[in-house]
Amino acid sequence: MNKNKFNLWNISSVIILLLMLTFIIYPLFLILGKGIFNSETGAFTLSHFIHFFERKFYYITILNSFKVTIVSTILAVIIGLPLAYMLRKIKIFGSKFIQIIVIVSYISPPFIGAYAWIQLLGRSGVITKFINDTFQLNFDGIYGFAGIVLVLTLQSFPLVFIYIMGALKNLDNSLVEAAESLGYSNFQRMTKIIIPLIMPTILASSLLVFMRVIADFGTPMLIGEGYRTMPVLIYQQFLSEVGGDAGFAAAIATIFVIITVTLFLLQRILSRQYSYSMSALKPMQAEPLSGTKNILSHIVVYFITFIGILPQLVVIFTSFLETSGGQVYTGRLSLENYKNILFDRDLNAIINTYKMGLYAIIIIIVIGIFISYLTVRKRNLMNSVIDTLSMFPFVIPGSVLGIALVFAFSDEPIFITGTILIMVIAFVIRRMPYTIRSSTAIISQISPSIEEAAISLGASETKTFYRIIVPMMLPGVLAGAIMSWVTILGELSASIILYSTETQTLAVSIYTEVIRGNFGNASAYSAVLTVTSILSLLIFFKLTGKKEVDL
Amino acid sequence: MSVSVNIDKVVKKFGEDKVIDKLSLDIQKGELFTLLGPSGCGKTTLLRMIIGFHSIDDGQIKIDDKVINHIPVNKRKMGMVFQNYAIFPHMTVEDNIAFGLKVNKIGKEEMTERINDILKTVRIEEHKTKKPENLSGGQQQRIALARALVIHPKVLLMDEPLSNLDAKLRIEMRNAIKNIQQEVGITTVYVTHDQEEALAISDRIAVMNKGIIQQIGKPEEIYSRPANVFVSQFIGTSNIIKGIIKKKEDGLYVHLNDMYSVKMNNLKQDEIVDKQEVLVSVRPQEFIITNKESGIKGEIDSTMFLGLNTHYFVNLDSGERVEVIQDSEEEEILPEGKDINLNIKSKKINIYHADTKETLIKAGGHDEQK
Repeated sequence: MNKNKFNLWNISSVIILLLMLTFIIYPLFLILGKGIFNSETGAFTLSHFIHFFERKFYYITILNSFKVTIVSTILAVIIGLPLAYMLRKIKIFGSKFIQIIVIVSYISPPFIGAYAWIQLLGRSGVITKFINDTFQLNFDGIYGFAGIVLVLTLQSFPLVFIYIMGALKNLDNSLVEAAESLGYSNFQRMTKIIIPLIMPTILASSLLVFMRVIADFGTPMLIGEGYRTMPVLIYQQFLSEVGGDAGFAAAIATIFVIITVTLFLLQRILSRQYSYSMSALKPMQAEPLSGTKNILSHIVVYFITFIGILPQLVVIFTSFLETSGGQVYTGRLSLENYKNILFDRDLNAIINTYKMGLYAIIIIIVIGIFISYLTVRKRNLMNSVIDTLSMFPFVIPGSVLGIALVFAFSDEPIFITGTILIMVIAFVIRRMPYTIRSSTAIISQISPSIEEAAISLGASETKTFYRIIVPMMLPGVLAGAIMSWVTILGELSASIILYSTETQTLAVSIYTEVIRGNFGNASAYSAVLTVTSILSLLIFFKLTGKKEVDL
Repeated sequence: MSVSVNIDKVVKKFGEDKVIDKLSLDIQKGELFTLLGPSGCGKTTLLRMIIGFHSIDDGQIKIDDKVINHIPVNKRKMGMVFQNYAIFPHMTVEDNIAFGLKVNKIGKEEMTERINDILKTVRIEEHKTKKPENLSGGQQQRIALARALVIHPKVLLMDEPLSNLDAKLRIEMRNAIKNIQQEVGITTVYVTHDQEEALAISDRIAVMNKGIIQQIGKPEEIYSRPANVFVSQFIGTSNIIKGIIKKKEDGLYVHLNDMYSVKMNNLKQDEIVDKQEVLVSVRPQEFIITNKESGIKGEIDSTMFLGLNTHYFVNLDSGERVEVIQDSEEEEILPEGKDINLNIKSKKINIYHADTKETLIKAGGHDEQK
């Protein structure tokens, strides 16, 4: 229709593509390059990779990562699936509230969970002490494999839960009733009808959990102690190799990316093969149970929800506890921790988090709208490339992205390491996919004839975009942007590599305070972060009238 | 104020596929012109070429003798009403209608006046400040119509505007559209696949199939004298049975079998040879069930009583199967399995060349009596 080569769309495609090439593709190729070329001679070499696979000290981290991830994923499904089914099938008192609590426990960053569980089940944790005193045991706290699995399972089951809640909502109850009328028992209906129909969702959500868990850095770093996973190894190698030969860290990062890309492709193939389009005319109705069954279901649902939200409660509670020297709780309540972080030192960490987060979310929303519009409505070769590249950040673990950005931008022509800009870029790249996904979903629902109507009435394409398309997209865009925003606030794995004293964030502060053993300050920072996330979510619910987010 | 639209040998290709090949058409000032055809016949493509959503690969389209091929859509000043209404959901009814006026920089006073006028014309004044989501399909379609008309377009284009409405509302809205179109007097191009709708609403109809115009004419011409077998079967119901034309001294006879023939006075004599094979198109109401010896013999296979009339599905001795309609009031209902004899109303039927499938009836043949 518009043959003009230099219209708004082509120009924005070119700009977006250039940005992606500069800030995503170029840094990743640098990593690959540093991994396979000798930094001095420039000759091709696989020595870094051989080095990695020769020593158990290194390659064990792959096994560790997989062990932790597989176990946590399975446990997350085992908890999330029945919980979702119970809430859909059984009338549970306060089920709306429970759903919100589960979403809240999901949006909180994993490392806060790790920190909270250290406080409860760590070496000098409350529960540990209680158990040891009561039973005269020498339980040394939940560190290593068990600790990581505990934290990541509790962090991940909400994702499975939210996805399966959605799938069950779209499952037409007539299907179940049809099976019932054909003589199928309750259990048979579950195994023959419901599970097969939501299987694609179970698979999709568990693969998402898998991707998140395997790339998580904060949890194994804090609670893993000697149990090292790949993101931890990459971080440690990178720090110790800075100034020297960064090739080894790059090689590990490459191996890691190969693993995650494989998983990602697997997920795409699976989700394409096993998907039913369902829309329920008559969704499943939650029905009240009676007697013991009723009480038991309530206990189970409340207990799981409580365990899920426990880390948030713990950090908020401990933030009001007095400590001596920041390390040991005295048992008295006080506002001392808040005084420490708010008045006794500069507020940089807090201000930086909001400031950089705000810059990032604005960029994410603007670019996200353009990318989703271009990839859905202006399908051409360039925009297909953009579509594929916009999925990349799902695949690239934060620590790898951090290293890649350092490699790429620590020298002329673009020297931005240590600046606000590089942090914002990392935030944008890592958290954009949430917004793109929800924006793409909503633009696909807007009929092209809406645009045509506006154009036929005399509006230009640009005007149609700003006056019609953008306002119509906005609710969907914001549903994804809220997820981008809260996950920016908790971003740790790339920040920990990229931050400088001027760009330190809340997440980084929490991490460093925990490492230093300043639990008082760590709790206060965590409380600020948690409360901000919860408030953002509640404001979003209030503004949009929704009770769901796009994950 | 109204304009004529001249479409001159336009071509549209999607890849290698020529969807429309050298199609020509003249639409007169102020008429409601319908493009009618089955889905995929190119009618919507042609409409979208007129408004400009599709480029014109060859040929030209003229509005009042001015070529518009290269005028962008938003400068063409054509109003379009879409199948799914395409109402802006985030604006009130009034804002929807004002949208085109605002981008065309119409002054405040005139804008208010025009909006109120058009709201009155389409009868949705009371919904002015509502959000469209609270309105019914028919009301939304009225907003769409108002929004298209309020910019005083040169041409109004309607793309299957009634297909999303239920049957009753469809009839109500089609009368409303016809009335509003006449009141405004705007040249209108209307696309539909529903032949009944086309007959009811149009001044003239172009029947399209596979990108080619089969026939252009007034509704009654198209119904009573279809130009070819396709049109005869697409518009209404037609039974096609084989026949042979024999030339006799007193004129041409169509033989439907050895014993039954009818004399035809309105055939194109020059195009017909003796013993020519033809296809005879008989509408169900053009059969007469008779007691006479001569006729087409058959057996009633099934009977369907529809109140006003009765439909019979009859298996003819020749193996062909036809539908016959009789007035319920005048005749008694015949039982299934009964052998009957059929005659045909020779002045009404149509005769087609067996190979070309084109009509053998003289132009204006339906008026002619010898």
